[in-house]
Amino acid sequence: MIHVPAPDPFTVFGLQRSMDVDERALEQRYLKLSRECHPDLHRQQETGDCIAVLQRAAEINDAWKVLRDPWQRAKSLLELASPGVLDREKKLDPAFLADALELAEEVAFANGATINPLRERLERAIADDLEALHGAIRSGEHALAARRLHASHYHRKAMRDLDAKS
Amino acid sequence: MAYSDKVLDHYQNPRNVGSLDKSDPNVGTGVVGAPECGDVMKLQIRVDDSGKIVDAKFKTYGCGSAIASSSLATEWLKGTSVDAAAQIKNTQIVEELSLPPVKIHCSVLAEDAIKAAIDDWKAKQQARTTSQEVKA
Repeated sequence: MIHVPAPDPFTVFGLQRSMDVDERALEQRYLKLSRECHPDLHRQQETGDCIAVLQRAAEINDAWKVLRDPWQRAKSLLELASPGVLDREKKLDPAFLADALELAEEVAFANGATINPLRERLERAIADDLEALHGAIRSGEHALAARRLHASHYHRKAMRDLDAKS
Repeated sequence: MAYSDKVLDHYQNPRNVGSLDKSDPNVGTGVVGAPECGDVMKLQIRVDDSGKIVDAKFKTYGCGSAIASSSLATEWLKGTSVDAAAQIKNTQIVEELSLPPVKIHCSVLAEDAIKAAIDDWKAKQQARTTSQEVKA
């Protein structure tokens, strides 16, 4: 059997590969595509067609999950634009990692009055990450974008840990 | 997924948690990360004049296997020579802790941290020798 790789999410949705998507238009497109391959519309067809329709429906759902999330959208774009870049740019600056470790400790020891200021700091850091990530993708700086996406994992993980405390 | 007894033991009673003074010329510091999972590991060694590692400390933010790998690494580092420490391989950690394939990257992180700490210490020694030569 020949393995056919799944089409990328932008192709599934018939969109240009770009960071900038209109989220409302994206949702409408998702609903339209989903309706087109709804099982009820394809009852009379042959089994082979049914499988194709189900496969198409699964592709649409997977693509939707990626496209609607700005982080996953960025990750997908990066891998399409520069395959392997996320793996090549895994080594982060030790000074950044040392800060990330301190941040993790702050989260671990946060309580009462320290939680809200820490949450605000993390929100800013995550917003900065996203803006820098998008900027770097737009200007074609894929290595920089990959490092920033990796860096954002530390901030987002710290935020999840903080949320889990309260 | 079940952790091995050895991983659980290191996770519940981690050895040598803490920090050494990173500005001390006899201390080498390595900080490495696995950005896909947001793990970070800091490993420090203190080396005496004969090249023996007299103390080792770590701090790890990550899963149980990452904590156990770095905890085990500090145990192995203490009392050994820098040269022998540089030979430690991640596969030895995998074997000792019975890490499953999905957790092998945790042992790689520990090996990278050891190497980074040694490199940092060596760079400091080099800088010290050079400045002494300049003075002489």
